[in-house]
Amino acid sequence: MTKNKSGRKIGGREYLETQSDEPVNAMPKPELDSSTKLAVAGEQVPEASSGWDRGNVPPVHVGSDDCIEMRRLFRFFGKTKAVEDVSFSVKRGHVFGYIGPNGAGKTTSMRILATLDLPSYGDSFIDGFSCVNDPELVRRRLGFMPDSFGTYRDVNCKEYLDFFARAFGLSGAERNARLRWVLGFTGTEGMADKPIRGLSKGMKQRLCLGRALIHDPSVLILDEPAAGLDPRARIDLRQMIRNLADQGKTVLISSHILTELSEMCDSVGIIEQGKLLATGSVEEMQQQQVQQRELRIRILDRAKEAAAAIETRPEISTLVVDGDLLRFEFTGEMELQAELIGFLVEKGFLVAECTSHKKSLEDVFLQVTEGLVQ
Amino acid sequence: MTAVSTSVESTPDAAALPNRMQRVDAWCEKWGDRLNPILVKETRQALKSRQFVLTFSFLLFAALGWTIIGSLSLMPRIYDTPSAPRMLIGYYFVLALPMLLVVPLAAYRSLEGEIDDGTLELLSITTLSPWQIVLGKLASAMLQMMLYFIALFPCVAYAYTLRGVDFPTTVLLIGMLILSGIMLTIVALFHAPLCETRGGRIVTLLSVIGILVLAEWCLGAVAVEMIHYGFDFSLELIFGLVGSAVLICIALGHLLLTVTAAQLTPISENRSTKIRVSLLMVTAVTVSLSSVWAMRSVDDGTSAGFIVAGGVALLMIWTFAGSMLVAESPVITPRVQRELPMSFLARAAFTWLTPGPATGLVFTVLNILLVASFLVIGIAWLDTSSVSMPPSFRSMFIQFVFGYAAYLTCFLVSVYVLMRLIRLTNQPRVEVGFAALAVVAVFTALLPYAIELYLSDFRTYQYSLWQSTNWAWTLYEILDSNDLSGSITVIGFVGASGLFFVLFFNPQLVWPRRIATPKRVLEEHGESGK
Repeated sequence: MTKNKSGRKIGGREYLETQSDEPVNAMPKPELDSSTKLAVAGEQVPEASSGWDRGNVPPVHVGSDDCIEMRRLFRFFGKTKAVEDVSFSVKRGHVFGYIGPNGAGKTTSMRILATLDLPSYGDSFIDGFSCVNDPELVRRRLGFMPDSFGTYRDVNCKEYLDFFARAFGLSGAERNARLRWVLGFTGTEGMADKPIRGLSKGMKQRLCLGRALIHDPSVLILDEPAAGLDPRARIDLRQMIRNLADQGKTVLISSHILTELSEMCDSVGIIEQGKLLATGSVEEMQQQQVQQRELRIRILDRAKEAAAAIETRPEISTLVVDGDLLRFEFTGEMELQAELIGFLVEKGFLVAECTSHKKSLEDVFLQVTEGLVQ
Repeated sequence: MTAVSTSVESTPDAAALPNRMQRVDAWCEKWGDRLNPILVKETRQALKSRQFVLTFSFLLFAALGWTIIGSLSLMPRIYDTPSAPRMLIGYYFVLALPMLLVVPLAAYRSLEGEIDDGTLELLSITTLSPWQIVLGKLASAMLQMMLYFIALFPCVAYAYTLRGVDFPTTVLLIGMLILSGIMLTIVALFHAPLCETRGGRIVTLLSVIGILVLAEWCLGAVAVEMIHYGFDFSLELIFGLVGSAVLICIALGHLLLTVTAAQLTPISENRSTKIRVSLLMVTAVTVSLSSVWAMRSVDDGTSAGFIVAGGVALLMIWTFAGSMLVAESPVITPRVQRELPMSFLARAAFTWLTPGPATGLVFTVLNILLVASFLVIGIAWLDTSSVSMPPSFRSMFIQFVFGYAAYLTCFLVSVYVLMRLIRLTNQPRVEVGFAALAVVAVFTALLPYAIELYLSDFRTYQYSLWQSTNWAWTLYEILDSNDLSGSITVIGFVGASGLFFVLFFNPQLVWPRRIATPKRVLEEHGESGK
């Protein structure tokens, strides 16, 4: 796991050179990796001073495997820093979980990716195209599902999807084929002729996912799609998202339900107060936490004496004696754990059971964040 | 046996029918795909909505009721006496209610609903442009109007068969109703995205209702007059009036629709150029129509009225628009910079159309000078023609027009500076520019007046050079036939200096540079045919 303060991960791709004069609102220059290559001026006409407050961030990059990228993204609302220096990237076909408490800046950064808002500084890219400079190219590749439904009165499900298919420029047989596919994929065929207003929340979510998928985007941005759903609907949604990822679609999903995310995401990012605190794969996150885990040792006699014997050891903290059970936080490798058990046996305590509780994503989240909101 | 043979004989036709129907269906679908998606969606929604069902039912029942009641009240001499005006007035009001009130209000609610329900955001990430969204709403409203009109058309035809109304009056009445309905819908759509807050929304809704009710009342009065007295004009005059009304409606409607679309456009995109082009179109149409009508009416002595009315309307439009153009953000996004003109000639001609406060200032001042020149040349031409004018009128008029232009230039430069200062810490909307202009205008008038009033111990005093910044008093003095050409020249010089100051110290804002579009973006646009 990477504790992310400046949080950049740029490298191994080509950028078009920019010749930027002093921007209107100067921002700290991003420190490009040595592997970042600049195209030879003359092959591409260099961009002149933009005056636009993106700082020196190159407008387009090519040849990347990253389908979604945020690069030093800032968004201020007055004095409130909704998003502060957030950088991460998501590889093609991956599901990225965006975790954070309410008001952490998840929705704001997702809206910037969806070309609905502009960053104060920095830029974000979908498939290499700037969300600021080339929004129409980004929109063709993007399916966005906001946290609100955004439905119409006096329209049924099929008409609703048909309208958005038309709005994305689909016509004739292609539109009908996409409509059939979306209705089938989201399991809303039976609801096709029912008015939207009468649908349950779960069905509305399915319909909204269908709307985001109607133009066959390569990238999906889902803002808390599982909020308010019952367990079965959540499982269905999880399966749908995994299916989409298997089809090669890149998914950025935010949620409060961390167990859901840990099961469907390839990698996650934890954000709080606008800052990206940690990014990495779920495995990496959990492995990092293996160094500190909860141990439970059952001692059949003299549990309190056993506790007194080990509580001074540096790798042990917050030790609790619960009847014949010792519970404590343990920091160290497995060898150290074996040595601890050997020590207790050697001292003559009757060790009946030892269990190690691996940290969940929820534990990681609680450990990384401080419960602060904007 | 007979039945069997008939069935066998009809088989080829029966087979051909579905094929024909399929072809018609495919043809309809093909054409349907070319329609604006908003129009398709809005029509589907509207036809299912309770509001449409109620309004349509009202229209039918009211028309039927008036046909029965009106005809009975005119019986038995309905065919002998001029009974058509009475019947037509009734039908007019039955049709005017949905066309001038219900449809525009529904269009307003529809666009406002898109913003409130968050569906506008969903639309803005599709390939639909804000123009298509606004035009789709307008087209849907027009379609509804057409349905209402078609439903009532037999009643209008029935009224025409009676005595007392001629064909041109009936056509003009219907034309006026349709044109007014479209214009009111455009005005209602223009109001929908104006305010974001709940309080603001309520005020906007009340304003729209007020405008619609007022228009309903005024147009009703005009319609009654038209029906009762008919049109005793020559065909040429009628065509001229209709043509002028249509041209003005197109120009103003285009401007309002452009502004509405601009309000729905993300800030990274160019929202200003289209508005500027539209303003130029309004100016060109007004100047042309005023000139044509002035030249046409030299003999009846109303020429000056046309020129002054057109010029004053344009000065008001440019004062209002200019204050907002100079309040635009000075930040030009790379996206806009990519689209700037490239050659020297194109830059010289079109740079003033690019967004930004400095280009906005120059563009506004140039247009105000254009309008002032039109007014002065127009009055000078009338003076040399056979139109009789008081001897001092020409000099007074020239002083007044250029005085107004000079003051406006000074104030716009002040608003430009003020807005640049405000933008150091805030991101105000362009409407703040108009508020800034009002503040500058009030202060420059009140401050010298109050100071001199204090210095003269609150006694009345005469106009002096110290009141030069007091635009209200200065212009009043000019209208009172006092020669203040010296003051006007000084004010004009101050305004020109301010403009030069802006041009000199902000070359990058006045003369923005084009930047290259990345190769991959060009390739992508090439592939998509854009």
